Amino acid sequence: MRSKHEAFEFHATFSELDEGLDVLHRSVERLRQATGRTPDDRALLLFETALGEIGSNVLTHGRPPGTEKPVDYALRFERGVVEASLTDSGGPAHEHLARQMPGQEDEQGRGLAMARELLDELGYERDGRHNRWRLVKRL
Amino acid sequence: MALDVQTRQADNGATVVAPTGRLDVAGAPALKDAISEVVKSGPPRVVIDMEGVSFVDSTGLGSVIAALKQIRNTQGELRLAAPNQQVRVVLELTTLDRVFPYYATVEEALAGL
Repeated sequence: MRSKHEAFEFHATFSELDEGLDVLHRSVERLRQATGRTPDDRALLLFETALGEIGSNVLTHGRPPGTEKPVDYALRFERGVVEASLTDSGGPAHEHLARQMPGQEDEQGRGLAMARELLDELGYERDGRHNRWRLVKRL
Repeated sequence: MALDVQTRQADNGATVVAPTGRLDVAGAPALKDAISEVVKSGPPRVVIDMEGVSFVDSTGLGSVIAALKQIRNTQGELRLAAPNQQVRVVLELTTLDRVFPYYATVEEALAGL
């Protein structure tokens, strides 16, 4: 029987929106299986929701127009803590970081506020021409 | 994974819109298109059957809010049915569960609509 605390590592690069989102969800499914968790494991579900938000931001805003620069993605799980990192080559994202949850009738602008709420830690740094996102949650 | 959206007429004349797959930034346009089609034929009474939706993100949620506004603008009514745990978590986190009272089944959502 697999241990809920078994170490896990996944790495991928991708360029396209559909492909990238598929990879993100597939990586969480592999983590779920590797650690013997059920599909309704709430903490992992919350992490996957946050990962979907940051991932879709990166895939829609993080690739400079006209280039096929890939997004670099890693998912790690160790000692009960899951950590994802995403690196893209898009413009700086500082101004979006403090965005608050919009009103109920607004159709956009919830992604980062949701991710902050769902994670234990959401890190962002601008490193030269790259954005680096770090998502951490204790499962 | 593209979002597949099926539309059918229920016995009481209401329309059931049933997306299958991930209702995310890639899938949201398909739901918007389906709702726009439904609204064309007059004041709609619509149930979105969420049973086949495995995952929703904020853009997918935005498409449901857009559907609500579009349907209300034509004096129609929208209800959500059968959201899974992840969808319920997102609705609660964003307090949209107050805007969309959801029903456990499509049959419950259709009752009295």
